Amino acid sequence: MIRFDDVSFRYAEAPGLTLEAVSLEIPEGELCVVIGETGTGKSTLLRAVNGLVPHFSGGTLAGTVTVGGRTTRQHRPRELADVVGYVGQNPLASFVTERVEDELAYTMENIGVAPAAMRRRVEDTIDLLGIQDLRTRPLRSLSGGQQQRVAIGAVLTASPRVLVLDEPTSALDPAAAEEVLNALARLVHDLGLTVLMAEHRLERVLPFADRLVLVPGAGAPLVAGPPEHIMRTATVAPPLIELGRLVGWDPLPLTVRDARRQAAALRDRIAPMRHAATPPAQVERDEPAASLRGVGVLYGPVVALGAVDLEIRTGEVTVLMGRNGSGKSSLLTALAGGRKPNRGSVRVGGGDPHTMRAHELITHVGLVPQDPGLLLYGESVEDECQRADHTSRLEPGTTADTLRRVLPGVPTDRHPRDLSEGQRLALALAIVLAPVPPLLVLDEPTRGLDYPSKDRLVRILRGLADRGHAVVLATHDVELAARVADRAVVLADGEIISDGPAREVVCHSPVFAPQIAKVLAPEEWLTVGEVQEALEEIPA
Amino acid sequence: MTVPASPAKRRHVPAIRLGHRSAILLTLTTIFGLVAFGWPLLIHQHAGANTAHSGDAPWIFVALVPLLIAIVMAELSEGGIDAKAIALLGILAACFSALRIASPGIDGFEPEWFLLILAARVFGRGFGFVLGAVALFASALVTGGVGPWLPFQMLAAAWIGFGAGSLPPARGLAERGLLAAYGAAAALAYGFLTNFWFWPFVGSSTSYSFIPGASVGINLHRFLLFDLTTSMGFDLTRAATCAILILVLGRPVLAALRRTSRRAVFEPVPQFVD
Repeated sequence: MIRFDDVSFRYAEAPGLTLEAVSLEIPEGELCVVIGETGTGKSTLLRAVNGLVPHFSGGTLAGTVTVGGRTTRQHRPRELADVVGYVGQNPLASFVTERVEDELAYTMENIGVAPAAMRRRVEDTIDLLGIQDLRTRPLRSLSGGQQQRVAIGAVLTASPRVLVLDEPTSALDPAAAEEVLNALARLVHDLGLTVLMAEHRLERVLPFADRLVLVPGAGAPLVAGPPEHIMRTATVAPPLIELGRLVGWDPLPLTVRDARRQAAALRDRIAPMRHAATPPAQVERDEPAASLRGVGVLYGPVVALGAVDLEIRTGEVTVLMGRNGSGKSSLLTALAGGRKPNRGSVRVGGGDPHTMRAHELITHVGLVPQDPGLLLYGESVEDECQRADHTSRLEPGTTADTLRRVLPGVPTDRHPRDLSEGQRLALALAIVLAPVPPLLVLDEPTRGLDYPSKDRLVRILRGLADRGHAVVLATHDVELAARVADRAVVLADGEIISDGPAREVVCHSPVFAPQIAKVLAPEEWLTVGEVQEALEEIPA
Repeated sequence: MTVPASPAKRRHVPAIRLGHRSAILLTLTTIFGLVAFGWPLLIHQHAGANTAHSGDAPWIFVALVPLLIAIVMAELSEGGIDAKAIALLGILAACFSALRIASPGIDGFEPEWFLLILAARVFGRGFGFVLGAVALFASALVTGGVGPWLPFQMLAAAWIGFGAGSLPPARGLAERGLLAAYGAAAALAYGFLTNFWFWPFVGSSTSYSFIPGASVGINLHRFLLFDLTTSMGFDLTRAATCAILILVLGRPVLAALRRTSRRAVFEPVPQFVD
């Protein structure tokens, strides 16, 4: 269905090739996932399928891309619209109308479908994607998962045979991502659509994939094949695969169910090492870094936080979990002094953060918001660092030094919005960390990050905690929480429903348990690293 | 197999390219436009013979100017205006309209002009010409400013955009100074030119009004007096607003527009090699 014949591509002013001698064939009716680190050319590969590369981007393409029997040499993207539907990463950016129904009809209006057929296809698409309740809603009022499904619907109405999606779930929380993936799986299984998608969070998509395409980057050739085969050597891998590789399971388990069937022996083997492997984090406990007493936050009639009591301890990473709207962000905002709670009191470093002057506040608590871009106003990374030094009243160069420690090699002349997600997060972190606040607060920091960037984030946060900072982060990413957290706090409907050592809290929850915990339950293991240490300590 | 780099490093691609035919058409339109604006000064030569048509002549211009603008637009888009340039046109015209609506109604405080000048500076004169015409048209629709004066305003705004896109290269403070000076001059000229089209209709009761058939010198003098007394205050405020906004907001707005221009890749040149 999609064929790449010896395709190489170079952007107009780029020094090197972005795609090099790519040959690839994707048969009809497959769900194919493109994996690889940020910046290796995944998006370029996807955009070459419908000719956006090179017709829209410019640049030089060698070789042939054929899709549904048409080559992108002879056909421009608009002539391929009835064969390939392309859905970008941010659905809101691609919407042209205001309401769901209008958006669904827009593509068909442009390719000239008769009104009766148009009406029929809109109805079909609505049923197919299960968006009946949304049809008259304004697009902006939809949640991320709903928007993504509407965006998929909008290209489906042209009845393409191929669907290309660039990281459709990376900005979504787990429930929304599940919605989107289920919708895609249904399209593949019921309609025989061919789906090609790029994705970072492999733990979610692996069970759905028929084939993986690994883009290793750095000029190495691209590898394609069945998931269990590709995953044996892939540089990006979810914890489940890492465990399988560590223990040498064959075939590699792609789902928790597969893994559990093979895991009985492993469970017994490492069970005695349980305590040796997990020394409880002993940190000296002095003054809490922050405390909330009976804090309540209301947005009009909506209770965002009930009456929350919480002490944040120094030298600890505390993870806040809970579904969307459970009060995580409200709690973080209260901690960072962004909003005065309607009830109760917040103390950070002996003062009320809400009444502190701005320059005083940033030396007590640093907040990295969900979209790190909100902190960035400068015209270049260098400019941004200088501004931060100025507003934080620091020695010139402090922020730039911090940035080099957080992530070396961020190009200083680049515009902050042209950085990759990981680089942007690093820059925001550096700005917040430069005044060395004892309390660091992060809201959902792992959106759009690839595995190496997440590893780096984990190391940075652990390092901060070890140096005596208190770190609070809200996240949906259970694998990240398992690796970084000392303590987990679960919120629901504005109340704390569980609070304790991370291991106990997440292992006993079917929702928040990481993959390793699910595989090795009832034993309380959280990460592959722990299992590895345990295995190494077993006397031969 | 090798993939050659692009033949020449493309330095700066204008958002809308002016071809030879477009340039000729644009020149003709400009000449015609000058006549359309300046006819009161010119008719003296035939005053004796042709006064019969002095009443309906201006209305012919009112009808012809939009046609000409349409022809220029069609010619400019003949090569296919880049989809990204169209999107930018739409967004900037909308911003222009929003600024025009937002102008607080104090005489002459019209903040929208600085945007046209900065955008034309960054995206080139072809884009500036089209943006001037489109932005004026769009904002007239939303502010209820549609009337026989609209084609003249569109043409004048198009010239302002064209001129801003033709200014010599400069960077930094020098550039902002240049643009501010141009902005002030353009704002004055805009008021001057758009007054011209209705001045003959004001009536002949005062010493500032149009005398059909009088010499250019006399009529120009009378027009200057008319312009000074009726709208100079208004025009000066507009010029000052424009220049100050360019000086104050020029740096961030130019930076944002330049980044857009850099990222947009206008007129991508897809190349296929074997």
